[in-house]
Amino acid sequence: MTEAVQQDGLVLNGLTKILGGRVIIDNLHLVVKKGEMVSLLGPSGCGKTTTLRMIAGFLIPDKGDILLDNKDVTTLGPEKRPSAMVFQNYALWPHMTVFNNVAYPLKVRKMQKPEIEKRVHEALALVNLMHHKDSRPGQISGGEQQRVALARALVQEPDILLLDEPLSNLDAKLRVKVREDIRDLQRRLGITTVIVTHDQDEALSISDRIAVMNNGKIEQFSTPQELYDRPETEYVANFIGSLNHVTGEYAEGQVISGSAVVGIRPEDVHFSKVQVPGSFPATVELVVPRGHFCEVYLKRDDVKLRAFISSDVPTAGTQGFARISKALIYKDGKLVRVA
Amino acid sequence: MTADKTVVVTEGLEAKSASRLSVLGFFMALPPMLLVICFVGAPILIAFTFSLGWTEGPNRVVSIIGQEIHKKDHWWGTFSAYQDVFHDSRFPGDLRTTLLVTTISTTMVLVMALGIGIYQRMIGGRLASIMTTLTLVPLFVPVVIASWAIHTFYAGDGFMRTIFSHFGIEFPTLTSTSTAIAIGTIWTSLPFAILMVTSGLQSVPDALIETAQDAGAGFFRIIRTVLIPLALTPIVIAGTFTAIGIMGSFTIPLFLGPNQPTMLGVEISNFFGAYNRPQQSIVMAFVVFTAASGIALVYIWANVRSAKQSGRI
Repeated sequence: MTEAVQQDGLVLNGLTKILGGRVIIDNLHLVVKKGEMVSLLGPSGCGKTTTLRMIAGFLIPDKGDILLDNKDVTTLGPEKRPSAMVFQNYALWPHMTVFNNVAYPLKVRKMQKPEIEKRVHEALALVNLMHHKDSRPGQISGGEQQRVALARALVQEPDILLLDEPLSNLDAKLRVKVREDIRDLQRRLGITTVIVTHDQDEALSISDRIAVMNNGKIEQFSTPQELYDRPETEYVANFIGSLNHVTGEYAEGQVISGSAVVGIRPEDVHFSKVQVPGSFPATVELVVPRGHFCEVYLKRDDVKLRAFISSDVPTAGTQGFARISKALIYKDGKLVRVA
Repeated sequence: MTADKTVVVTEGLEAKSASRLSVLGFFMALPPMLLVICFVGAPILIAFTFSLGWTEGPNRVVSIIGQEIHKKDHWWGTFSAYQDVFHDSRFPGDLRTTLLVTTISTTMVLVMALGIGIYQRMIGGRLASIMTTLTLVPLFVPVVIASWAIHTFYAGDGFMRTIFSHFGIEFPTLTSTSTAIAIGTIWTSLPFAILMVTSGLQSVPDALIETAQDAGAGFFRIIRTVLIPLALTPIVIAGTFTAIGIMGSFTIPLFLGPNQPTMLGVEISNFFGAYNRPQQSIVMAFVVFTAASGIALVYIWANVRSAKQSGRI
């Protein structure tokens, strides 16, 4: 074992996985504290699901260790790990009722029938599905199926809950509701949870910490707020939230010529008709309403900036002054300064 | 008012177009329907009336040529030909052989198909692919050739006895026994059953198997509680097709089976041709048909179950 970290919860220590001759996961380190909810966030193909499948035991890493509450589970099969996984498409067995789907892990453990009934009823009550216990998966909605899958995972009382894009098959409104349900349950039960998602909103709203992945590596592992406010790499800054990219240096509220990259969040760009210190002349090119705010495209000479403005929205063609309140300066893709 | 008229006119056009489409659909379906009615339905009906002693009309010529023909003595007919068959000392043995060979061969075919299918689904790899490919070979060998090959393999002067005699062991002669029929029918039925069972097992999503693994289930429990129940419909369909095929088989029992008792396919041919007792042969055919109908009910049950599971009904 290589330099195992002594820590309750989940420890991934130098995980490497090669599939089809390609390095999918490259020396990945991650520590998830007990009771914490961590998201693996990244685009398709970045290795987040492979990482989750290694934690679950469906894939054995080529290098590195997986420790769960200080116990090495690297080579254990999924049936022997104290983890439970909720799959992207719920993976409910269509030939079993909701009750039998949830009871299955307990039957495997050869529990007594009254104990099984008690625990299944508790799990179904937890996800508000008692009224559907005799239904088949095909007879209930997508959101309800997702909750059954969650109940089936929770009934096992696992040390760690693994969720593989659990909300991606739900419509937008239901997604918000189910993610709140998941967050609420996770907090109440205090269960260590790893969730895989490519949806930054989802990750930002339910995670204690987020690991942003790129090419089989973790680019940054921080709290949602820190990720947003202080993205350590240009990749993370692009992935989390919106960003204006301007090549140049940043000085006294102005972007001047230079070789660095200045990243400016659209909400940090302000527009007014009156010149204030640090502002520069700009013209409104386009205004796109976005509900409670408007996306305003501003032009200054050869530089274009996007701004999110929620009050006193100017009309296209308005001439005024833009001001930048915060900028992230990157060199070689790494954050060097927040101004 | 003009707008109202336009709506009425449009609705009228839509109704006309729908009715034209339904007429077109009917005429498209008519040729196969007529074909089935004329060349399957009518012969079955005529044969059935003949078995009940209706010897006139289309049954007149065969009644004149055939021996031991029973003519109807009630308005609906007579069961005399049925009594003939059921009192014939050969028939119970033939029926028993037919049912026994069908049951044993179908069971063996399903067990082998499941074995190979599960091996490929759960373990996979090159060996599984080679095995599956090899089991498909009989699909491309004509039954008559295969029968003759099996005959020379297990005959009294065949390959097996020759090889074993070199080691001082007397290998039993299997030709002209029900065992040889079973070997032959398994050989011919296995490829199709493997194709159906394997595709059924392959269609079970990985996630459903992995969830069971994640829940702590071992290899055999996953097979018993997840894989087979989810692939039950194609497995049952493979079983029913295999059973019906074996029950009505002719070439293999003719080449490899004993003279007596033999399978009903051969006996029907004997009664119709050699013994010139067409009415009795048709009675036997209806007995096989009734047994096959029982198997067909299982097929229908499997389809209904599948439709219910997928929420189609």
